[in-house]
Parts: sequence; C-alpha cells; structure tokens
Amino acid sequence: MKNFFRKVAFGLKPDEKIPSDPLTWATSQISEKIPEFSYKGKIYSEKEMRKFYREWVYNDRKKLRKKFKKDKKGYKSAKNLLRDATGQKFWRNLEIAIRHKEATSSDHPVLAKLWYFWTNHFTISDKDMLSYYSTGAYQRETIRENLNKTFEELTYEATVAWAMILHLDNSENVGPKSEDARADWRKRKKRPATINENHARELLELHTVSPNSGYTQENIQELALIMTGWAFDDSKHKTALETADVKFQRKYHEPGKKIFWGKEFPNGKKGLPAAIKFLANHPSTSEFIAYKLCRYLITDYPTKEMTDPIVKAWKKNDGYLPEIHKAAIEVAFNFNSKYTKFQNPENWWLQMGTMTDAKWPAADEKFDNYKLGSGPDPYQAKPHWFMKDMGHHPYLSQQPNGYSDLAEDWMSPELIIRRFLYARQGYIILKPDNKNNEFYEKVVNNNFNNPDKIMKLLNQNDKPIDKHILLFNLPEVLRA
Amino acid sequence: MKITRRNFLKGSLATLFLAGSGIPVYSATKAKKNLVVVMLRGGMDALCAVPVIGDKDLKKRRKELVLEETIKLNSDFSLHPILKGFHELWKDKKGAVVHATNIPYTQRSHFDGQNLMESGGKIPYKEKTGWLGRGMKVAGLKQKGLALALPMPLLLRGVPQNNNYFPTKGKLPTDKVLSLLKNVYSERSEDELISMLEIIKSRPKERSYAADDLYSLANEAGKLMKETDGPRVAVFEVGGFDTHAAQGGVHGTHSDCLKNMDLIFATLKKRLKEEFDNTLIVTLTEFGRTIKQNSGLGTEHGYGSAIFMGGGLLKKNQIYADWPGLKKKELFEGRDLNSTIDARSVYASAMSTVFDIEFKTIKDKVFWGEDLNNLSDKLFKT
Repeated sequence: MKNFFRKVAFGLKPDEKIPSDPLTWATSQISEKIPEFSYKGKIYSEKEMRKFYREWVYNDRKKLRKKFKKDKKGYKSAKNLLRDATGQKFWRNLEIAIRHKEATSSDHPVLAKLWYFWTNHFTISDKDMLSYYSTGAYQRETIRENLNKTFEELTYEATVAWAMILHLDNSENVGPKSEDARADWRKRKKRPATINENHARELLELHTVSPNSGYTQENIQELALIMTGWAFDDSKHKTALETADVKFQRKYHEPGKKIFWGKEFPNGKKGLPAAIKFLANHPSTSEFIAYKLCRYLITDYPTKEMTDPIVKAWKKNDGYLPEIHKAAIEVAFNFNSKYTKFQNPENWWLQMGTMTDAKWPAADEKFDNYKLGSGPDPYQAKPHWFMKDMGHHPYLSQQPNGYSDLAEDWMSPELIIRRFLYARQGYIILKPDNKNNEFYEKVVNNNFNNPDKIMKLLNQNDKPIDKHILLFNLPEVLRA
Repeated sequence: MKITRRNFLKGSLATLFLAGSGIPVYSATKAKKNLVVVMLRGGMDALCAVPVIGDKDLKKRRKELVLEETIKLNSDFSLHPILKGFHELWKDKKGAVVHATNIPYTQRSHFDGQNLMESGGKIPYKEKTGWLGRGMKVAGLKQKGLALALPMPLLLRGVPQNNNYFPTKGKLPTDKVLSLLKNVYSERSEDELISMLEIIKSRPKERSYAADDLYSLANEAGKLMKETDGPRVAVFEVGGFDTHAAQGGVHGTHSDCLKNMDLIFATLKKRLKEEFDNTLIVTLTEFGRTIKQNSGLGTEHGYGSAIFMGGGLLKKNQIYADWPGLKKKELFEGRDLNSTIDARSVYASAMSTVFDIEFKTIKDKVFWGEDLNNLSDKLFKT
C-alpha cells in the first residue's frame, strides 16, 4: 500500500506519520481552491516575465545588432550584459524551484503531481526564448491557476495564453478574406493573407479530441479559420508586437459564419470559445484525457476498467477538473497493488528528495537573494542544469507533444546512467545529520511494504552513499 | 578519466555467428559496412533543400521563400547553398538524393508521422519496434547499434543491447552496487534494466565533461564506427524543421536545420576516412511541406519530401525520382509535393545492401511483405 503515496505523489518524509486512510489523504488535497505556493520568496507574474522577454528580444534585435554591426566581440559582451540585466540564466532555476517545492515541501503534493501532468499535456516546447522567461510563469498562471475549473475553461485559457499563441504561431493565422487581407501593403508586396494551421492542428490532436476522433485535414483548416484574429494586440505595441497581450482582433478574422466538423459556429470573438466548448465536450476528449491520466499515474497501457470511472465522473460533473482528478486517484488506489508505474526522471528525483527530506530545492532565500544584473550562483543554477542533464526539463520539451509517459521511452543506457549519477547527487544534497546508516531505516520503513528485505540488501554496503544509490535504483523506487 | 573508445566498446564484441540463426554476421575478410540514419524531425522541406530548377509553379507559390542562390546539381535540380558538406560528397560521387518520396502516411500529424517513419508500419503506435531494429535483428547485429541521443529511438528498438552516447560527467556506482542491482533486477524479471546494466558495466567508471553538440556526437560516432568491432549502425536526431513561420530562404530557420544535418554528413566523412567508402548515410523525415508559402512566410505540413544519402556505398551521384510535377493538379490534394516512391523501399534496399541480406528477406521480415521495390541496383553498389 505504501507505494500509493508515491504513485499519486512523491512518497512520505522520514518522520511523516503514515496516513491511516491513504485515499482520503490523497483526495483531500484536491480542493475547490488552489492553494498558495509553498515558495515564499518573490514570485514574478507572467506579465513581469514577459517584460524581461521584451527587454531581451528587442534590445538585442533593435539596438545591439545595429550598434555592434561591425564589432563581433563588442556585440558578444554587450549581449552577455543584456542577458544578466534581464536575468536570462536565472529565471528557469527559480521557476523549477517553485515547481519542485510543491512536490517536496507542500501539504498538497498530489495536486503538484497532477499539475505536472497538465503542464505536459498543454506543453510549451523549447521555442524562441520562451523557456528562459515565460514557460514557468505560464505553467503557474495558466495551468495551475485553472485546475479548479472545467477542462473547457482550462483549455480556453491555455489556448489564448500568450506563450501558447507564440508557440504555435496563431499570431500568423490570418483570414484570407479578412480586412487585413485587403491591406495595401499585401497587394504591394504580393503577400496574400493565409491561415496558419499549426495551432488548430495541435488543439485537435494534442489538447482535445486526439486523432482517434477521426477529424480530417479539412476540419483542421475550418478550425484554423475560426481561430483567425487571436493574435498579439498591435494597437499598443507597434514596436514590440511579439510580446503584446493576446487579443481578438477582428481585422485579422475571417468574416462570416463558420462550418467546422459539420456544425455551424459563430463569427467573430465567440467562435473560438464555442469551438472549444464543442471539442471539450466531444466524447473522444474525455476518453483521451482519462487514458492519459491513467497512463501517467497507473500503467503504460490502461484498460477500459481504469478509464471508465474517470469518463463517468467527467460526464457527471461537466468536465470539472477536481472531480476528474479525484476519480483518477480513486482508480489509481483501486489498482494500486496490481499495477506499478515506471516513474519519469523528474518525478523520481522529487520522490528521492521527499523521501529523504533532502535540501531540494534549496532554501527560498538562496533564490530570493538573486540580484538582477548578474548570473545565477552555482546553487541557483542547479535546478535548470539537473533537469536538463536528466533529459526531463519541464520547459525544454523538444516538440509540442511533451514528454512520453511510457517506460520504454525512458529506458536507454545513458538515461539509466543518469539515474545512478543523480542518485549520487541525491545523497550529496542530504541534510548533513542524515548521512548515516540509521537514517535509511526510517526512510525505508516509512515508504516500503517490505522494509526488512530492502534493509538487508542495503546493509550489504558499508557506506551510506552506496546504500543511497542502491535504494533509489531498486525496482520498488523506479516504479510506484 | 576521459571516456575512451576502447572502454566504451569493451564487452560489446559481436560473435561471428549468432547461435542458432546460422546467418553470417561478418568475418574478418569481409569489409565492415555501416549504416547511418539521420532523423529529421518536424517535416523537412525538400522543395527548399533540393529545389527544382526554373519551375514557374514553385516560384509563383513561394515568392519570398525561393532561394536567390543555389548550387546546381544537374539540369533539373539544385541544392540549398548551406549544404556545403553534402555538395562535396556529391562532387565526389558520394552524395545522392531520392526526391518526391515519403513513407506512406498522408495525415500530416508530426507525432503519428514520426512514429510511423520509425516503426515502418501504417497504423500509428501499433508497432513497438523500429524498422532498423528489426533489420538488425534479421542480420544478427546484436550490440551493434548506437544512438547519438539521450533516449533510445523507436527506430533502433527490436534488437537487444543497443548502445547510446550522450555525454555527461559523473561517477558510476561501485561494482558491488551494480551487481546487487543486477541480482534484484533478475529476481523481478526486469529484463530491460538488466540489459541496460550489462551495457553500462562496459562503460568507464568515471566520465568527465564532453560536449553533446551534433558535431561532437558525429565525431564520436565516426571514431567508434571506424573500429573493426565498433557499432555498425548509428542513428542521429536533428529537430526544428517545423517552420510554420519565418522559414527563411538561404538563411533562416529551415536553413539552420539543414546545416545541422550537413554537419553530420561532413563530420562522418572526415572522421571515417577510408571507412566512409563502406558507409551509407540516409535521412528520414515524417513528411514534406506545402509548396505554397503562408502569410507568415512559413510552410504547412505536406506529404512528399526527399531522402539525402551519402557514403561510398552509393552507386553514383544522382537525383533519383519519378518527378510528379508541381502544377496544382499534380500536387497531392492540391497542396503538397506528391510522393511517388515509398521511402521504405529505399530503406529496405539500404539495409539489404549494408547488411548483405536478400531484399525479399528484409521486405518479408521487416516490412511484413508489403509491396516495396528493390532499388538496390539503382541506388547502391551491390
């Protein structure tokens, strides 16, 4: 039973009392209110972060490149100064610290594990400068803040989020019969307005109905027409357009009523929310999300018995996420002894940090001490580097489909080597008082069903560091 | 201690004959032949990489994306000027292109498409192994695959004990910890983990920093493949080809991606030296891109693309194609370069040539007996 605490969260701390009712322990962490972050240092808003993005992109593009046109060396050092002035190398570390503290030091680790699921579902992959300044903030403000809403509301917020519009090029999606299509410059430059299919395709394929629903290329183009006009507000930021707020702008929108997937959708601003409503309530969507949730929490190839109760909860509660989450956790509980789930690197690392009460992430002050205008110190630089090296950086997914939830995709010699190397790191960041043999008894007793057997194995090594590396690479830990 | 090739390979010596299979792997008297696959993720735009010369339809639909300067390859086709390394191979008769080709997948999803380009199948996510892994299995090439990436690509799965290389620094556990783990994994039938441990045990105990950029990876792959007992198959990944906006022409996003691909060709040539004559490099992508530029000066997902090939196992420098044309009615669904050659015929022929196995055997055992053509004598030295 103790693996359930790792299956839906990150395990128990060495001194934590073992909850007598594990299911209630887990479901009570899903509430109608999204709790405050456990990180108590300054948290920057998405808009503040976008300001840094703007400062970096436009100062580099408009000023430095011109000023140092013929001075490569001068350009390089000016660029480095600008990097530090906009905190470029620091923010990802701060954001990961905020993210990870929810797992290791909050009273709602179950919500953290679900948050990670949704940040991967609505992935912002590594594009432009998004990972440096904005993806962390997007994951906080767009994803986490909406986990107490319906799937439809979450999808709408993610779709019109600034980072997502930039990520999937909807700012380039212009109606061929729109007002903008008739602009003089287009005629002059012979640049007719066209749709951009990228975002529409991923909204269908990755975010809602999935290819199982059988949509066609025509449907993608129909949805793209509905999405025209959702772009950066060019009435305010003429010179830094890329970082302006997302706003529906009629002049880019394809006029007229829209037919999408055989149904009529309203013209204008109301078209996209109506399309999202339709997609969120399509039966393929609840099945797709239920399957993904089970694949994330329970097993690589979920059965219908697992997905059915989640789909049922979805229907009963009109896609209200807290109820969907509770249903998924209950299924995980019911199948707990029969199935174990191979843990991805980030969740594995956070389980190690939680179970050993390690210094991860470092204390809030270490991050809050950061001074704009400098680079991160070695402590502050760890979160980004560690996650990147493990191959599971939450802001650096290579493609918009995010990271895989299949064990086989996390299985290669180099990836398993990372587990060994980072188990060693996990020992290094233990509190000094815990670097002894007695400590492991507490860790093992609190988290495993077969503590005697595990201790017998660990005790074949003299050094605590060897015990540590062995423990965190046992099948009991790699799978939960 | 810095990783050395000797350490890296220790314990991965192939036996001459696979027990029971009776299929000869290779012998000391026969040259070791290598196959390298470079995966181009995102949809490589063949009309940008290898444009057709003087085509009015292309010019009309791609006003801003048409390249101002290109390298002429023959009377019909030219080459993107960033592909300097490939051009050197071409001049040396060690570079060729199969044009207007793709896997038989027309739905334009990256992720379904990438799954199929690696599995070689027709239904996304159905197959759990890759065509290259299955081909190696037929050829008895156990422990002979190397992925230059952190995960193990689906493409290589299907044959046990493939290796990968993606450096990081750090110290491996003690032998005792490794052997205790091995015992536990055996008790629990964790076969995959056991297999990983066996490979890891042959690695140096400590690794210092090494670069993981494509040049360094290609350099390492070349060094390892040069060894007689080194890997015979290598797989690279180049991403970023999905240019829906600001694709660029001679310079720009698509050109940066092509440059990365070119770097792998050029570095392998340089590093493999005379072994390059016994090597074949082929590229693989999920689809091509629309002929028409969009208003964001990018291109959308399409169908037909091209395969770049390099190495001394090529028959000659050529653009091999059954050119479908670029008039509206000649395009796939009125928007994409059509595919007139099933790319899997090229890959099956490549494996038949490099692994010295009958084409029919590859076709039947790797591609389920599907209707593929043997192009070996047209493309490769047989």
